Amino acid sequence: MMRARDWLAAAFAATLLAAPALAKEVKVALVPGGPHPYFANWEQGGKDAMRDFGLAAADYKVPAKWELGLQNQLIENFAAQGYNAFLIFPGDPVGTNGPMQDLASSGIPSIATAGCTKDPTPALFCFGTDVGHSAYLGTKELIKTMGGKGTIVHFTGNLVDPNTELRMKAVQQAVDESHGAIKLLQTIADIDRTPQEADEKINALLAARGKEIDGIITTAWLPSVSAATALRRIGDKRIKMVGIDHDQVVLAAIKDGFVHGTMLQNPYGQAYIGSYVMEEIVGHGCKVNPNAPFKKNAYTTRFIDSGTAFLGADGVAHYQDAMKKVTQDLMKTFKATYLTCP
Amino acid sequence: MKGLLRTDWIGLLVLVLAGGAALAAARPEFLTAYNIDVILVSFCLTVVYALGQGVMIAIGHMNLALGATGCLVAVAFGGVLEVWHLPLALAIGFGLLLGVACGFVNGWLTYRTGLTSFIITLATLSIFKGAALGITQAQPFYGIPAAVKAFGSDRWGPLPEMLLVALPIVIVIAVFFGRMVVGRQLLAYGGNPHAAELSGIPASRVVILAHTLSGVLAAVAGMLSVARLQNATPSIGDEWLIASFAAPVIGGAVLTGGHLPVIGTCLGVLVVALINQALVMLAVDPFYVQVLLGLLILGAVGLNRLREVRLGTAPAVRLS
Amino acid sequence: MAVTVANARRARLPAALGGALRSNVAGLVIGIAVFTLAFALYTSGFTSRINIYSLSRSIGINGVVGLAMMAVLVTGGLNLALGAIGVCSAMVVGWALQALGLGVAPALLLGLIAGAALGAINGLIVVTTRLHSFVVTLATMSIFFGGMVLLSGAQGFNALPPGLTGFGRMRLFGMISPLLIVLLIVGFALFYLYRFTALGREMLAAGANPVAAKLAGLPVERLFVLCHALSGALGAVAGVLASLRNGAIVPSMAGPLGSDWLLPAFLIPVLGGTLLTGGEVSVLGTVLGAVFVEVMTSGLYMLQIGEFWIQTALGLVLLGAILLERARAGMALARGRQS
Repeated sequence: MMRARDWLAAAFAATLLAAPALAKEVKVALVPGGPHPYFANWEQGGKDAMRDFGLAAADYKVPAKWELGLQNQLIENFAAQGYNAFLIFPGDPVGTNGPMQDLASSGIPSIATAGCTKDPTPALFCFGTDVGHSAYLGTKELIKTMGGKGTIVHFTGNLVDPNTELRMKAVQQAVDESHGAIKLLQTIADIDRTPQEADEKINALLAARGKEIDGIITTAWLPSVSAATALRRIGDKRIKMVGIDHDQVVLAAIKDGFVHGTMLQNPYGQAYIGSYVMEEIVGHGCKVNPNAPFKKNAYTTRFIDSGTAFLGADGVAHYQDAMKKVTQDLMKTFKATYLTCP
Repeated sequence: MKGLLRTDWIGLLVLVLAGGAALAAARPEFLTAYNIDVILVSFCLTVVYALGQGVMIAIGHMNLALGATGCLVAVAFGGVLEVWHLPLALAIGFGLLLGVACGFVNGWLTYRTGLTSFIITLATLSIFKGAALGITQAQPFYGIPAAVKAFGSDRWGPLPEMLLVALPIVIVIAVFFGRMVVGRQLLAYGGNPHAAELSGIPASRVVILAHTLSGVLAAVAGMLSVARLQNATPSIGDEWLIASFAAPVIGGAVLTGGHLPVIGTCLGVLVVALINQALVMLAVDPFYVQVLLGLLILGAVGLNRLREVRLGTAPAVRLS
Repeated sequence: MAVTVANARRARLPAALGGALRSNVAGLVIGIAVFTLAFALYTSGFTSRINIYSLSRSIGINGVVGLAMMAVLVTGGLNLALGAIGVCSAMVVGWALQALGLGVAPALLLGLIAGAALGAINGLIVVTTRLHSFVVTLATMSIFFGGMVLLSGAQGFNALPPGLTGFGRMRLFGMISPLLIVLLIVGFALFYLYRFTALGREMLAAGANPVAAKLAGLPVERLFVLCHALSGALGAVAGVLASLRNGAIVPSMAGPLGSDWLLPAFLIPVLGGTLLTGGEVSVLGTVLGAVFVEVMTSGLYMLQIGEFWIQTALGLVLLGAILLERARAGMALARGRQS
């Protein structure tokens, strides 16, 4: 099996020596796992990066379905179309390493974006929300507004999503730190695929055990929307909730007081900064600094936090500014911290 | 005893009642108005598209594009409301027409080509779903009028307003297949297409009518979903396929056609809703739902088969 | 009059050519040639090495998926649980490699056996209950997949031996994936089975008319169970091939309940001329059907008509292909009746 090892070695070399020093035309493909409102801001982030850094392209390319096979096939297809840098949301933390390896063996770098691939991975690094940290902060906010005691439930994403496990652990940690004052009644996972499922499960739980529940933490997009809608429907504002992301329904519920707040993520910045990094690496021969102060999570030792921020009723009107500010702060030090350039 | 055995839904009714009683005993909250409302909402959404599949099963066809039709209608409905600001009545009419069109295309193609509806609707599934995604670029339409949202949320005690749509549909379908000549013709065709054609029932009319009816029911279910979810998102309909077959089959439908158990389908929907509810209330791993649902379908069709054999109505050879 | 003349002329054509024209093979070859040429001319990158490599891989995987469904279409039934079986079997391979520490060959063999066994379960339920395989496999797809997730905790296997991953990444002549070779080997084996062995011919006869076959003394039930088992075993092969592309064995590789495979599984054999009513297969047609579908998919993406409209375009193309095929078959039939 000399062959396999040769390939790995070649791939590794190609990743490190991603490009010659001469400026080269950089075409970035931003590939989410499938259609999901979370990724909508990637498109704008890519466009802005294209304008600001002179990329040849930074195109948002959505697989029409959440299907690992389809995503992997698409990635190859885009490479054939001449895209030479990839920001990929891993359809599967392990299964996405395959196409990344293929890209790497053709000398094309990729960044695991918004979710991580599992080490050992050919991805340059993982750039996304520190979802554990975000879930932890959100749970803390929730506990604070609940007055430090009571019973909460956690609604989260799909079990195959690399982030779900991290979120469940973080919520548990925040609960444990209350030393018994807060009780986690139940976690409902796997409800981030269709809104109908989220609506049904969340309402079923609220109907059956609503009286025991004092607080709701949601750590995925669709459950946040469904839970916010359900609380508006109940209408008595007794149950407190901290959601995630910036769906209109959630923002409106915050404004009207049905939801306490939401944990913003930074999809715009992921695309904007990620595309910028690709311009530096592919276009100008920069390399990822192996000694950079990466964070660690359950999947990888090369993780960079794309930022998170709590948004309460006071900030709803200007939430986009909050996201842009997080991005600008990251940009200031990104190159110096994580890249080494010729 | 034999009379009771012939009524195919009596066992299911016992199952639903016993299951409900057990849940109520385990958790008193089960009988609160809010909880019954939640179950009934799920019933309203599911029964409409389950009947949409039931109509197809009745003539021995199937509609794999059911969810895609519901999805396309849902986003078109949301789109004309948000972008064109159409009055509600017109938007509903538009949605229904689109459902008619989708169903008609399925029926016409199936009839004209003589191919199985399985393969035709597999292709149109791709077409409709792609169109829904293309129109929305995978982003939901949020501009749903308050009246529509209220309709999906409001209830009188335990009874959701959506019953106002679902119940009449159940009754109309029951009357259509039980009492009306056209409905009878559909069933006769489903039971034996060849004999039905010989006795003068036009196959073209039966096939196209049934597919169109299926399309309309999918359209109604799609718009109900918009009312319930408060937005029109292109993932509506994604999980309909298995449930749409499970409910009629649990209710006693036979895929070779000739029979549409309307009450059985309703009870089948309730059984699945109760299982889902029980799993949430008792905090069971969601993946047990899959295994349970599969076993339930097998059990239900197995029981049906047993009853047919007992009554001597089972066909002698049906291998595939 | 004109028809008669055309018929007379056709009758003079060599028999072999007539046979090819009457099957789907000619239409598919023409379709593949025309579209490949068009995409090569009007897109950039369609004929690039990376795309040919990618195509050869997808054709390999989806071709085996199509053949696996074909093996059960023979009976006039179908296998909705195909994807679930593929994922379950691949997970068995992963488990054998990583938890049991078996070598590659015994692990693959275990996976094949698992696939065949799950398929045989489908077959046994179908023949003993005499229920339609649609309902049976609708139920077992839930049961198999749900059972696999419960047993595995939805955790995949990513430490595959380098021999296996190396095979998955190999490039013959710099652009052909060995997965395509696997498809060709499976195809030849099936061709041999249906054309030259008594077992294969009995399968076809039983599928074409179970009642008559039974009267003629064929063990129809046992043959049907074998067809389902064969479908399961081929599903296992497809599951392993898909894992090789991903470089890991993951439960999500075929979507919820393995349902992502259903579209290619049915379209490919049907395009290739396999009848849904049973009793007739076309191995060559199925392989060419896979080539056609993958060329279309890849080319449509290259045309950049917008990701979301691809699905619609693909549906339309496939519908068109089915309708054309239907028209051609109808004309051939009409001609046959007249002569």
